Amino acid sequence: MKKTLLATLLLGMFAAPAFAADAIKIAISGPFSGGSAPMGTSMRDGAKLAIAEINAAGGIKVGAKKLKIEVVERDDEGKNERGALVAQELASMDDLSGVIGTVNTGIALSGDKHLQEKGITKIITPAAGSASMTQWANKADKPGVKDLSIFRFAAHDGIQAAMVVEQAIKSKYDKVAILFDSTNYGASGRDDLIDQIKKQGNKIEVVATEKFNIGDKDMTAQLLRAKAGGAQAILIWGIGPELAAVANGLAKNGMKTPMIGGWTLSMSNFIDNAGKNGDGALMPQTFIEEAITPKAKSFIEGYHKTYNVDRIPSPVSAAQGYDAVYIFAAAVKQAQSTDTKKIKDALEDLKDPVKGVIATWHHPFNHWDPANVETHEAFRSGDTVMGMVSDGRVVFANQADRDRLKKNASK
Amino acid sequence: MNIEIIAQMVVSGALMGLVYALIAYGFQLTYATSKSINFGQGELVMLSAFFSLTLLNIGVPYWLMVPGGLLFGAALGLLVERAGVRLALQQKSEGWILLTIILGLLGFSSAENIWGRDDRPFPTPISSDALHVFGINITPLEISVAIGVFAIMGLVELFKRNTLLGKAFEAVSADRDAAELMGISATRTIMLSYGLSGMVAAMAGILISPITTVGPTMASALILKAFAVAVVAGLDSGFGVVLVGIVLGALESLTSFYIGSGWREAPGLVLLILALAVRPNGVFGKATIRKV
Repeated sequence: MKKTLLATLLLGMFAAPAFAADAIKIAISGPFSGGSAPMGTSMRDGAKLAIAEINAAGGIKVGAKKLKIEVVERDDEGKNERGALVAQELASMDDLSGVIGTVNTGIALSGDKHLQEKGITKIITPAAGSASMTQWANKADKPGVKDLSIFRFAAHDGIQAAMVVEQAIKSKYDKVAILFDSTNYGASGRDDLIDQIKKQGNKIEVVATEKFNIGDKDMTAQLLRAKAGGAQAILIWGIGPELAAVANGLAKNGMKTPMIGGWTLSMSNFIDNAGKNGDGALMPQTFIEEAITPKAKSFIEGYHKTYNVDRIPSPVSAAQGYDAVYIFAAAVKQAQSTDTKKIKDALEDLKDPVKGVIATWHHPFNHWDPANVETHEAFRSGDTVMGMVSDGRVVFANQADRDRLKKNASK
Repeated sequence: MNIEIIAQMVVSGALMGLVYALIAYGFQLTYATSKSINFGQGELVMLSAFFSLTLLNIGVPYWLMVPGGLLFGAALGLLVERAGVRLALQQKSEGWILLTIILGLLGFSSAENIWGRDDRPFPTPISSDALHVFGINITPLEISVAIGVFAIMGLVELFKRNTLLGKAFEAVSADRDAAELMGISATRTIMLSYGLSGMVAAMAGILISPITTVGPTMASALILKAFAVAVVAGLDSGFGVVLVGIVLGALESLTSFYIGSGWREAPGLVLLILALAVRPNGVFGKATIRKV
């Protein structure tokens, strides 16, 4: 009796590693706690929804076998130093096929170098700061990397800032204030905004450029400077809690100045903490939680049911996490391998279109060119729409966008 | 520049300053009786705020939540005294410094585990719509903070002056040994002061939460300012903390308006350095003569 038990145990020990190689190991990393947690957890849960669907259908066919996806989760807490540790740990895993995630631009800056060194394929989503990708591109003083294993699946701030400035021009504002948080994300957002204002013909005057810190609750000084300068709108780059403090500060100071900013204005911790003061805030969105297409309907219902919520904390993050997994899976299928380098090559040249919840993706990435970051960026401005906070939810700001997406899907 | 803007900055800064003052007052209460302070006072503010939010979430009405939260704060204060301060004081050691810091850290991690790390809104029946008074925008919520701060400080002062227990408190503050000879238990009085101090911390938490939201780190910035206020004002002047709190709050907002929002923290630090250099016992503090 004892002998058989021992034998079984031994057999189990030897069998286990063999089993592990029969799966596709993907890491999901992001902030699952702290101020950017709504984005991190939504991204994770959206991605896991896609993984559950793929596994339920038997997995991905690689060679003769169908392999299931196995998930490794790591919480980087939205802190740069912690993110670097997580990236180091992931880079040391031999059997990792790829990484999906990262919400905070600072973490992409502190951690991705470890993955790039080992050539581990990563799809960044939903971190939007331009610097996450431009850190690899050619710069004035030094050339960029020749071969890059980092991809991005998010509407980067360049696109978003362009849309924000367009919106401000369309609304005929000629004086605006720029508010930004003191993180890498906020500072690069400010640069993008100023850059876009120049590019779009200097039609807008920036009357105040104001900074705030993570954790700041009292924005009176910044807002009054904007008011003193005669700002007609506030262009803003930050994350949920501080954005809410700005919205509440506007109400407190009796200001009706509209807020236009990065996609973070759709975060649940902005919407909840600002309450009715958040209504009317405009932001670029890649996905709006409205069942306008059958695919969107099944995704939203699936998310609500699986995670027992009636509102996705960050719909954009969830949808991007979901689509990123399908794109990654398509690359595994095309590469016919779990080897991260082969998956990278396949991602750069995806043959079959991937049907996602945001759009149907045709050849989302190209071979990396350090002179053009767009080669590893999936989103173009056409994939992004303006969203607006209304009564605790994000809705389409322009009816035309809604109709267009509906039409595209029925094509 | 525009006088209205200056007035607005001063008023909203001063209101914030009152909260610093209230927390600083909590330091003073325990310092008066025991010459010790709770370095985890910020965690008491935060834990009481979380507890009050939980009361609200399970359906306790707002006006019943306030005394509930205050009692919870007082209980926490007593706990700190029993676990972190009493033994150290008996041994005449400075162990309370480390012990109160440790208790604070413990409170912080408990809050993270029980309530999570996210900031949450704190519902309040008091409106946050701006009122227009003499060209200044002020919300009823901010007015409630001012009223709350003065009310609790006033009550504690009245208690100290007009009740037997309060007089014992004053006696121990004035001269501990003499008070003990008169039959007043110093240990009990110190307990009382920690209870009161915890209650004051809870009040600060309840007052500030609707404005700042509730989260484990909500008090970490506040507590530094409060400490600066307590040191600048002196650790034994209740009137002083209010004044210094108001001045510091107003200075902060004026600095961030005129010099830049990145310099907001500067005046507090400069004030602290100046006070320590020029009047180490605080602007309103009494000079102590130590016999050797």
